[in-house]
Amino acid sequence: MAREWLTEAWLRVRTLGKRSRLERDLEEELQFHLAKRAEKNRALGLPADDAQAAARRRFGNVTLVKEDCRETWIFTWTETLWQDLRYAARNLAKSPGFAAVVIFSLALGIGANTAVFSAMNTLLLRALPYEHPETLATVWSTQKPDLGADGLPPPVAEVADWKKQNHVFADIAAVGMTMPATLTGIGEPGPVLVQSATQNFFDLVGVQPAFGRVFRAEESQEQSQTVVISNAFWRRRFEGAPHVLGKAFRLDGVVSTVVGVMPPGFTGFAPWYGSGAEGKPTEVWRPIDPGSARYLKRSDRWNMPVARLKPGVTVRQAQAEMDVIALAMEQAYPESNKGVGEKVIPLEDTLSKDAGDKLYPLLGAVGFVLLIGCVNAANLMLSRTEGRRKEYSVRASLGASRRRLMQQLLAESGLLTLMGGSFGILLSFWGTRLMRAITQGVPDAENIRINGRVLLFAAGLSLLTALLFGLAPAIRAARPDLNDAMREGESRTSTGKRGRARYLLVISEVALAMVLLVGAGLMINSLLRMVLPSPGFDPANVLTMAVNFPETEGKYLEKIPGTDRNKVSPKVTAFHQQLLERTAALPGVESVGMISVIPPLGAGNKSFSILGHPAPSPGDRPMGYFNEVSPGYFRTMRIPLRKGRYFDERDAPSAPWAVIISETFASRYFPNEDPIGQQILLRYEPEQVDEDRPRQIVGVVGEVKQIGMGGIHPLVYESFLQQPKTIQSDAYFDRMGSLVIRTISDVRTQEADITMSVKQMVKEMDPDQPVTDVSTMDDVLAKFASGYKNYVVVLGSLAGIAVVLAAIGVYGVLSYFVNQRTRELGIRLALGAQRGDVLMLVAKLGLTMAGIGLAIGVALTLGLNRFMAEHLWLFRVKPTDPATYAAVGLLLVSITLLACYIPARRATNVDPMTALRHE
Amino acid sequence: MPKKPELLPGTLDMLILKTLARIPLHGYGIALSIKRLSSDVLTVEEGSLYPALQRLLVHGWVKAEWKMTETNRRARFYTLTAAGRKQLGAELSQFEQMITAIGRVLSDANEEV
Repeated sequence: MAREWLTEAWLRVRTLGKRSRLERDLEEELQFHLAKRAEKNRALGLPADDAQAAARRRFGNVTLVKEDCRETWIFTWTETLWQDLRYAARNLAKSPGFAAVVIFSLALGIGANTAVFSAMNTLLLRALPYEHPETLATVWSTQKPDLGADGLPPPVAEVADWKKQNHVFADIAAVGMTMPATLTGIGEPGPVLVQSATQNFFDLVGVQPAFGRVFRAEESQEQSQTVVISNAFWRRRFEGAPHVLGKAFRLDGVVSTVVGVMPPGFTGFAPWYGSGAEGKPTEVWRPIDPGSARYLKRSDRWNMPVARLKPGVTVRQAQAEMDVIALAMEQAYPESNKGVGEKVIPLEDTLSKDAGDKLYPLLGAVGFVLLIGCVNAANLMLSRTEGRRKEYSVRASLGASRRRLMQQLLAESGLLTLMGGSFGILLSFWGTRLMRAITQGVPDAENIRINGRVLLFAAGLSLLTALLFGLAPAIRAARPDLNDAMREGESRTSTGKRGRARYLLVISEVALAMVLLVGAGLMINSLLRMVLPSPGFDPANVLTMAVNFPETEGKYLEKIPGTDRNKVSPKVTAFHQQLLERTAALPGVESVGMISVIPPLGAGNKSFSILGHPAPSPGDRPMGYFNEVSPGYFRTMRIPLRKGRYFDERDAPSAPWAVIISETFASRYFPNEDPIGQQILLRYEPEQVDEDRPRQIVGVVGEVKQIGMGGIHPLVYESFLQQPKTIQSDAYFDRMGSLVIRTISDVRTQEADITMSVKQMVKEMDPDQPVTDVSTMDDVLAKFASGYKNYVVVLGSLAGIAVVLAAIGVYGVLSYFVNQRTRELGIRLALGAQRGDVLMLVAKLGLTMAGIGLAIGVALTLGLNRFMAEHLWLFRVKPTDPATYAAVGLLLVSITLLACYIPARRATNVDPMTALRHE
Repeated sequence: MPKKPELLPGTLDMLILKTLARIPLHGYGIALSIKRLSSDVLTVEEGSLYPALQRLLVHGWVKAEWKMTETNRRARFYTLTAAGRKQLGAELSQFEQMITAIGRVLSDANEEV
C-alpha cells in the first residue's frame, strides 16, 4: 500500500517539470474534441453556432474537466501550499516589525531549549558504560551530624560486614575518590588522577581490562602495588606500546606495576572527586586491601560502596535490608556507628546529581522562555488576524473553504517557526559553548555538542511551537462572523470576548516571567553574597604554585614498618626553607610565603580542647580548620593582624609551639577572654590521638575565606617549622605546600620569569619534585566562582529575555487596545476628557494585567519552592527571600509601566477630529 | 427515452486500453469507438474521458503523439505501451474473475427462486 502510494507520488512529481507543455497539450486536445463534435453536429444539419453550443453542452464544464486532469498531474495541496507560503512570505515582508519580533522570540526559545537539551543529551540521557547499570546502587552513611548533608561513605571494614549479612546484593565493591597523585619514574614527574578500588570492582560493574588482568587485593603492599591503567593514559605515557604489562612507575613514591589496561570507553568511575580532579577521567586504579591495618580500623570514610542488586531485588527492598543492618552495626560498634543510618541510592542518581542540579532548573527556565515566546507570537498573530478579520470574512463569503483559510494562516506560522527555528539552531551552537562552561566539572561536559538527536529535538520542538502558537489564531480566523465583520465601525467601544483571550495570554506571560525572575534573582543574590565580601587577603599581584611532596618516597616521608604512620624527614623543613629563601631573592619578588593549601581551596581539620576549659565530650569536640604556614605568609597575603603577633624567628622547632587563630575562632571559643596566651591541644580525628604537646595562641588575624567562598570557619594556622615527627599516612595535608609570591610590579609581566626560575630551583634541589598549579591568586578566585557566575549569567539572561518578551506582549496588547478604540478615545477627548484620564485608562489596563500576572507568578514560584531549594545552589538566601521577591516584582512592574507608556502616550495624542473620521 | 446503462465504475480505463490495443486513436475517436463497438449501449462521459487519459499517461500505460488526421488536422493520438498491454491483461483477468463470480451468484440465486 505504502509502496503504491510512493510510486504514484513519484509519477506525479515527474510531471512537475513539464507543467506548461501538459497544459498546452490538454488545451489543444480539448479544442480538437469540441471541433470534431461540432463538425459532426453540422453534418447532422445544425447551423454552425448551434453546432458548437451543442458540442459544449454535450461535453460539460470544460474548466472542470481541465481541473480534473490537472489533479492527476500533481497533488493540488502542494500547489496551494506553495501559493500559501508565497502569500505568507509576502504578507510577512509587509510587516517586518511583527515578523522580526516573532522570529526573535521563537529563535531565542528554540535555541535555548536546544542548547540545554544538547547538555542533557550528553550528561543525563546517556547509557552508563557498565553492565546493567540499572541494578547498580551506591550506599551512603547518613544521620550523624558531622557527616554533612550529603552523607559520607562507610568504612571499608563495615562494607565487609554488610557482604556477610545482607541478602539483597550480589556483591559490593568499594571505590575511592579520584584524586591527583604524583607520578615519577617515567618521563616528566607530574600529577596523575588515581582512584583506589577493591579487587571485585571491575567484575561488579562488568568491565574487564582490554588486555592484562585486574589487580588482586594482596598485591597492595606498603612499598609496592599493582595497578590498572586507562586506555588514554596508556596511549599518552606509553605511546600505546603493547609491552606495557609489567612496566613500573612510582605513584606518590609507591612502586606501581601495570597489570592491565582498560578499554577506551572506560574513562572512570567518578561520582565524586578530590580537589583538582573534578570531572576529569581517572587514569590509574590502585588496589584497596580490606585486610590491611589501615582499613580494619573503621575510621576511613572515603571509599564509596558500589553494590550490584540481586536479580529482582528493588532499591526499596535493599533499603529495608540496609536499615536492619545499620541497626545491627550500631549495636556492634556503638563508638563509630551511633546514630548512623545507610541510604541506598541508584547509581544513576548518584552519578547524575551534579549535572541534574545544574540542568533541571535551566530546563525549566528555557521551557518558560519558549512558552512566553509562543504566547507572545500567538498574541501578535491574534492581533493580526483580528486586524484582517474583514479580509477573511470577504474571502469566506466568496467561497473560500475553512480548511484553506486555516492552511493559509498555518503557512504563516509555519514560515515564522521555520525561520525562528533555523536561527534558534544557529544560536544553540553558540549555546553549547555556554553549556560546557556551566557544567564544567561534570564528567563528559567537554563532549556536549549538537548531534543528530539534538537536531531532531529542535525540529520536533519547532513543529510543536508552530502548532502551539499558530493553531488558535488559525481556528479563530477560519470561523469568521460574516455579518459582524462586514459591518463597519461597530463594536469599537467594547473589548468583548475577543479581547479577553489576549489579556489572559499577556497575564500568563507576566506570571511566567515572574517565576524566572525570582529564580534568577535568588541566584544573583547568592552570587553577590559570595563574591562581594572581601576574601580576607589581597589577591592582586600574587603568584601561587604548588610544591606537594610525594606520599611515601622514603626521601621526605618514611613509612614506619608495621604501622600506617610516616616519619617526617628533617629534609622537608630544609627543602621548604631553602625554597623560600631562594625565591625571596629572585628579582621582582617583594615577599614570599608558604601555606599547605591556598585559600579558598581548603584546610585540614583537627578537633581541639582548650587547656583550662572543661573537656568537651568525645562525640562533640569542636573543630578547628588548620593550615601550616611560613612566617612570611600573612605579610605576603596582607592578612591583617588583629591582636598579638605573626609568626617570627622566635617560633623555632625547639621553642614552645605557637599557633595563630582567626577572628571567628577567637570570638567563638573565647567570647569573654583574651585568646592570646591560651593553649589548645589539637587532635587528628580519624586517628583520635592528641598531639604530643599543646600549642599556644600568639596572634589573631583577620577572617579569610579559606574553605570555599561561602562559609566562615574557625581557622588555625600552625608554623611549618613546628610539626610532629611522625604523621598519619593518610594525613596528606601535612605534605602539601603552595608558594605565594607577591611581585613588585604587575604580576602578569613577571609570571613567566618567576615560574621558570622556581621550577629551575626545584629541579636543582630535587629533580623528581613537580611544581604544579601555577596561577595568579586573581585567577584562582575568578576560576572558583566562574562556574557559578556563568550559571547566574545564563539564568539572568533567560530571565531578562522573559521580561523583555513579556513587556513586548503588554505593549502589543495595549497598542491594539488603543488602535481599536481610537474613535472612542477621540469622542472622550472631544467631550472634554483630560489627557491624564486617557493616560490612566490605558495605564490601568496595563497595570491590572501586570498585577494579576505578578500575583499568579508569586503563587507559582511559591509552589516551586521545593524544587528551587533542592536544585538551585542558593547561598545564604532562602528560596522565599522577601527582598528578592520585592526587588524582581518592582522590576517587572516598572518594565510593564514602560511598555504601557508608548501606547498610552499615543492614546492621549489622538486628535478628536481624525478619530471621528477614522472609519 | 430509456436510460442508458452507466459504465461500471473502474471499467473506463480498461475499455480505453482495450480500444487502443487494436489501433492508436485520438480522444474523440476513442469515445466514438467505444460507443460503436458496444452497439450504442455504452456512452463514455466525455468529461471523464480526458482525466482518465491523463491518468494513463502519468502511469506510462499509454503514450501520446501529435499526428495529422485524414482530414489534415492536428490531433493527439494515443498508443498502448508495453506496460499498458500488461496492465490491460491484469485488468481483463480481474474483470473476468469478477464477472464469473457475479454470474455464479446470480445463477445460484435463480435456482433458489
